[in-house]
Amino acid sequence: MANLRDIQRRIKSVKNTGKITRAMQLVAASKMKKAQDQAVASRPYAQLMAEIVSGLFRHLSVEELAAVQSPIFEKREVKKRGILLLSTDKGLCGSLNANLFRALAEIDREKAAFVTVGRKATQFVSRSRRNLLADFSVSDHVLFSELRPVVDFLLNAYYEGEIDTIEVLYTQFINNLKQEAVLINLVPMIGLDDLIQAIIGVQDYTEKAPIENDEREIRFEPSAKEILDAIIPLFISREIYHKVLEAKASEHSARMVAMKTATDNAGELCDSLTLKFNKARQAAITQEIQEISAASAS
Amino acid sequence: MALLLEIVTPEKKVYCETVDSVVLPTSSGQIDVLPGHIPLMTLLEAGELMVTRNGTTDALAVDRGFAQVQGDKISVLTEAAINIQEIDAGAAEDARRRAEEALAQAEARKEDPEILEELETKARFAIVQQLAKERKR
Repeated sequence: MANLRDIQRRIKSVKNTGKITRAMQLVAASKMKKAQDQAVASRPYAQLMAEIVSGLFRHLSVEELAAVQSPIFEKREVKKRGILLLSTDKGLCGSLNANLFRALAEIDREKAAFVTVGRKATQFVSRSRRNLLADFSVSDHVLFSELRPVVDFLLNAYYEGEIDTIEVLYTQFINNLKQEAVLINLVPMIGLDDLIQAIIGVQDYTEKAPIENDEREIRFEPSAKEILDAIIPLFISREIYHKVLEAKASEHSARMVAMKTATDNAGELCDSLTLKFNKARQAAITQEIQEISAASAS
Repeated sequence: MALLLEIVTPEKKVYCETVDSVVLPTSSGQIDVLPGHIPLMTLLEAGELMVTRNGTTDALAVDRGFAQVQGDKISVLTEAAINIQEIDAGAAEDARRRAEEALAQAEARKEDPEILEELETKARFAIVQQLAKERKR
């Protein structure tokens, strides 16, 4: 029976695919654990840094900020938005990249220039003929130093006026099943409240000291300018690094979940095919018996 | 009245406890912070951070960073921090030697400034650990 053999072949191929997706699920699961731990562990640092920066801004007057004369605090007319897009290198991670690119599609393409991290983002931006300034790649286990060229490139482009903002579009890790495409404004640092709220608002799993309110005049040692000079570059690069960690955690979780679904589906498909196979076999046997008994009766 | 001290590094939250007083190694000298201190924001130098709690004094080696005093809460943001009791003098010595060698090599090769910076941080932190440990003995 050709039909029987066809079913058998399908069962075999579905089983094989199931094995592959299962292996990929296990790999993603172990990477996910590491990536999540790293992302969650770096949250308190990002939050405290955001708190300190917001504290600085709250206590500095506009004149004092203007005296610093850094283009980072200057509001200029936005002709070109600079957007750093953080995506994955590989596919097979469910709707993660699709969601990211949907958020990206809402951005006016004439008014934006892109810097990408991850092959998928590079492909998408170049295929949709958007303005791609540079693409970078990072390893799976990202180190802070790997992002140095990215941050330098963005800041240089900003200083030279090639882009008028630095924004980051990435996937925020919320939990294993939920990741959200988020766009944040980093530079110029005006109206930081939203950003700070977004950073502080992210729930983290470590013990947290309550934020104290203190209305008294704050003292800066040695001076506000020196602290600003020291903390701002660090803030920008740490913030971008932190976003990359969040994106990595999202990637591995999304892939894990996608691969788990694929494995489950393969199992289900295999079961229903086996049932079909058994039915067909049964039908074949019944038919044979019928033929034999019909032959002997005549 | 007690102070709340939290020390955060990029890897994790190292310390989060209520203490009686803290000595911070700032860029303009050591500052002793007691409850009711005025709000302060300062740059930290690599050095020893002394914590007094219930009459006993603990020391932590910290790297460069920032500190904020707001109300009775002290937040320290630094690249690295370690409790001095946990410092293994031999390991710190080894770490310092390794970091300095790597630094010399990297300088000879004209490495990326970022890598140099990282190695410098490692060497600096190892030296601070050693110094703090020796003082303790």
